[in-house]
Amino acid sequence: MVNHGIVLDLVERLATVADGATAAVPLGPGDQGLLTQTVAAWCARTGNELLEVRNGAAIIRRGHTPDPLAGLASGQMPGTRLWMYTNFDCNLACDYCCARSSPQTARRALGIDRVRRLAGEAVQAGVSELLLTGGEPFLLPDLDDLVEACTDALPTTLLTNGMLFRGHRLERLRRMDRDRLALQISLDSATPDTHDSHRGTGSWARAVAGIRIAQDEGIRVRVAATLPAGQSHELQPFHTFLDSLGIAPEDQVIRALAHRGNADAGLELTIESLIPEVTVTADGVYWHPVSADDTDQLVTAEIFPLAEAIAEVRRRFSDYRARANAATQWFPCA
Amino acid sequence: MSAPLIVGSVAYTPNVVTIWEGIRDYFAGTPAEMDFVLFSNYGRQVDSLLEGTIDLAWNTNLAWVRTVAQTNGACRALAMRDTDTMFRTMFVARAGTGLGGLEDLKGRRLALGSRDSAQAAILPVHFLTRAGLAEGEVDLLRIDSDVGKHGDTGRSELDALRAVLDDKADAAAIGINTWEAIGRDELMPGAMEVFWESPIYSHCNFTALPALTEERSVPWVEHLLAMDWDDPRHRPILEMEGLRRWVAPRLEGYESLFEAVQEQGIGPRW
Ligand code: SF4
Repeated sequence: MVNHGIVLDLVERLATVADGATAAVPLGPGDQGLLTQTVAAWCARTGNELLEVRNGAAIIRRGHTPDPLAGLASGQMPGTRLWMYTNFDCNLACDYCCARSSPQTARRALGIDRVRRLAGEAVQAGVSELLLTGGEPFLLPDLDDLVEACTDALPTTLLTNGMLFRGHRLERLRRMDRDRLALQISLDSATPDTHDSHRGTGSWARAVAGIRIAQDEGIRVRVAATLPAGQSHELQPFHTFLDSLGIAPEDQVIRALAHRGNADAGLELTIESLIPEVTVTADGVYWHPVSADDTDQLVTAEIFPLAEAIAEVRRRFSDYRARANAATQWFPCA
Repeated sequence: MSAPLIVGSVAYTPNVVTIWEGIRDYFAGTPAEMDFVLFSNYGRQVDSLLEGTIDLAWNTNLAWVRTVAQTNGACRALAMRDTDTMFRTMFVARAGTGLGGLEDLKGRRLALGSRDSAQAAILPVHFLTRAGLAEGEVDLLRIDSDVGKHGDTGRSELDALRAVLDDKADAAAIGINTWEAIGRDELMPGAMEVFWESPIYSHCNFTALPALTEERSVPWVEHLLAMDWDDPRHRPILEMEGLRRWVAPRLEGYESLFEAVQEQGIGPRW
């Protein structure tokens, strides 16, 4: 026999609760499964939300929870961009590298087959931009094929340290579709000292030379600096320098150093506090490119279907934000 | 710019604040700005309207009838919810009781809500009278919770339903809004059914006195009626206040309550 009074309890209890706040309504005696069904049906019908049944009581939020992703800028919606780690090895071994890359690091290449399939599925999944990173992608003998698979599908950005534009690697660069490709070259300072102190002697001069080569080839170049958060106020000389190189203001990107990978300090980035950027490596789908070598931010080892991986990232993100929103309601100002 | 219109409302749920702040924001920046004042009961609200403390009162049907009585009909209703034009009282009993109409209540127990609730007490008694049932022929169980709020909280109606479930009453008279809130007869399958539905009558309205000029009230009403269910900025307020559209008042819907108040000698102060 169902305790029909539960519906009366629900109406009475929820009437005294402010919109967005929660109430616990004891289920009382009777078939708990049936009672829970009744509560769920009532919530669905009246536009309230059954959060859980705990210790014999239904926890209900009055009204609908607003979509936690509703307030995001359109570019912040996970799945707007797709990052791919083409490989993990690098000609450099920067002390802050979030991917723990170096000449000794195993390549773990994504490979042309997966890249092609990802690019195709990305279009289907509504992705609007592809970003290729590493490691140093120009170490790959088939980089031009990888890039072509991407630029055929979507506008693409290729991240590089810009130091390898010679010989057959330069030939590969020349074969890339400059209408659909931008290079993002890492440069940390207006003068060699800071850059070289993290990335190796002589690396600044070669990066600047790489920027010029790419520009001469008619390729759009973005410059990205990685700086400790505390230094981000001393940026004017750097911007002036990049202006002198002919880098457009919107192509001058400053990122704060993250405490990830080889970095021994930097911003602490946790899944809960980091807006995700869906990132695929040979090992699976990760939350964000800064954590693509950290198992704690592995979302799934199943890369395909890509749409499902993106959906999973959105689900988790939505969940974290909903919890964060709820947390702000746990402490009403009183 | 003239001072904002002050609207009075009775605080029967914590959401009243959210609702009225939303409505106030909706009027902000228009030629008909408004603010609101909350009251703990309708008696106090009507007094304040008569004293001129507020320009408009968001009144229940009983508060409207009282204001008409105290102003000799000089007050006017400006607007109501679409749901206020088709309010009903539902007479419900346990499913299978075999009640077929109001006459069948003779000699049985009927649970009523708060004595100041038009839908759950005053009008039900009126409908019984109309059905030819004399006083005393139906055993009335009156549940007076939240008196002063004219049944807005719905608590007394829930208690009336509980009385039926607990076999303390054979039937209960409740507003259609409470019937909807409990999911009609679908969420308590086999438990409750409606055996008589009243004709429609009018429920709440915005009540003004002659002191509020048309020059001030007309732009306010025009802007109120322009609230749009399909506009995501307006929808949450409309949902919370329980309407899809604001409409012009349907005054003939108050006739039954005027008669009921007169028949039952309802006092002027609730
Ligand atoms: S930061 Fe970039 S250039 Fe430096 S080691 Fe890592 S992948 Fe290579």
